[in-house]
Amino acid sequence: MSLVVDASNVGKVFGSGDAQVEALQDISMEIRPGEFVSVIGPSGCGKSTLLRLIGDLLTPTSGTLLINGKTPLQARVDRDYGIVFQKSTLLDWRTVRKNVELPLEIMDIEERETSAAEMLDLVQLNEFGEHYPWQLSGGMQQRVAIARALAFNPSLLLMDEPFGALDEMTRELMQQEVLRIWDETDTTVVFVTHSIPEAVFLSTRVIVMSPRPGRISEIVETGLPHPRDEDTRESQQYYDKVTDVREALRHEEAKR
Amino acid sequence: MAEVTTERQPGAWERLPTRTRRVLSFAGVVASLVILWEGYKLIWNAFGWIEPVRPDNVVMPHTWDMVLELFQPVRRGGALLIVDLSSRSFWTLREALFGFIIGALIGFGLGVLFVRSTLAERAFMPYVVASQTVPILAIAPMVVVWGGALAITQWMSVAIIAAYITFFPVAINTLRGLRSPDPTALELMRSYAASPNEVLWKLQFPSALPYIFTALKVSATASVVGALIGELPAGFQNGLGRALLTFSQQYAVRSAKLYATVIICALVGILFVTVVTLIERRVIHETRQLEGDLETQRSATA
Repeated sequence: MSLVVDASNVGKVFGSGDAQVEALQDISMEIRPGEFVSVIGPSGCGKSTLLRLIGDLLTPTSGTLLINGKTPLQARVDRDYGIVFQKSTLLDWRTVRKNVELPLEIMDIEERETSAAEMLDLVQLNEFGEHYPWQLSGGMQQRVAIARALAFNPSLLLMDEPFGALDEMTRELMQQEVLRIWDETDTTVVFVTHSIPEAVFLSTRVIVMSPRPGRISEIVETGLPHPRDEDTRESQQYYDKVTDVREALRHEEAKR
Repeated sequence: MAEVTTERQPGAWERLPTRTRRVLSFAGVVASLVILWEGYKLIWNAFGWIEPVRPDNVVMPHTWDMVLELFQPVRRGGALLIVDLSSRSFWTLREALFGFIIGALIGFGLGVLFVRSTLAERAFMPYVVASQTVPILAIAPMVVVWGGALAITQWMSVAIIAAYITFFPVAINTLRGLRSPDPTALELMRSYAASPNEVLWKLQFPSALPYIFTALKVSATASVVGALIGELPAGFQNGLGRALLTFSQQYAVRSAKLYATVIICALVGILFVTVVTLIERRVIHETRQLEGDLETQRSATA
């Protein structure tokens, strides 16, 4: 089986001359189909930059990066990516259903209404199709954003701190939701976060990054059984893994 | 229900339908202006004051005389002033409307061009700005001369002058509006591999609509002013601009005529802006309308 993400010695430098900033250095990693990989690190460690490189929203300045065996550009043209940002970025002149249909319109995919309805079912918002985004709570808006990202069945779902703006309770519900959706689809997920419990609870692997320049300092396999639920959050193995990730982060802190 | 009682009870005014309130406040403003005008005349006359404005019937004719003047013949044996001004309004509105449409299209086109190409923006923006610092009175005769050479009808020349001052606000606001979407929304479109046209029509244009309509309202009044001014160098006889010129020359004799014409010009401008506003309500904001619906539902259930 080919790799979904295959990065070797990827680097990213912003600017030029004296104003140069090295955002990422020597990033090598492999993500296999069906994995749920979180990227965690302090602010400024380049985790969002890494996600943008994978999604071809930015271009690496060194190294090679392959997505599904193709260049990121080709993967983007082939519509391999669904993206969810911290802001839901819903278009407020479109209804919820029309927002979910947006990528399908652009990609000229037929039977938009059926797909949109399926997606809204998936995120359990089928009753809200004719509502406008501003009529929904923050958590519901983010679920619409997820439905929109998955509407065209991309092989890779990129999420950039998608629950960062939500309150703690909503956040935990959304995590459950995302795991269920990940279970029900065969999507590979790359999930950027700065919450340790969130990363551990969701992921098969957690990539721990350190800043200036952004590097991968450690990769933690969570090995938690599926399906995960509230009991998972209270299990010893979960605590141990949270501690592992925390120590990996702190370890980096101490080195600097 | 405890919270409801702490709220201020709506007064008689708030209980009136919105439409009635609007009509009443409009009438209220008109009445206040009349009272101010006539009050000034009364008090200044009583004390014999002449500063800052002499309160006699030539400089400040009675408000009712302005209105009555509309129903006097323009000249001996001629049509009533209101009839004459109505047909002139039609011409001026037509010039203004064509100028408005041409100007809006050019302005929108420039906005799209500039948002697509920073190079074009850098190259042309200085001229766009400069065009607005050149007085219209200098441009208008040139347009008229060229228009004549190209065998363009007179009123079309006037429309082009109106377009000249209309396009600027539309260009600036379109550009601003097309740049208004959140950067992540653009990244989202990029991730769909959307073409520049799809980004324009599905994201940038709808985002820009509130900006564009603001500009169109400014342009609606500007195009009327442009038409009025443009009629003078064009030597166009049938519009309101000509009437303003003629009646201002007769100011010392029948000043009420000029004031009556000014009122009609203002009404033409108001009519134009109202039409644009009505279109705006139709085009933008289904969402706002829905908000309104929710508001009514809420008050209905309360």
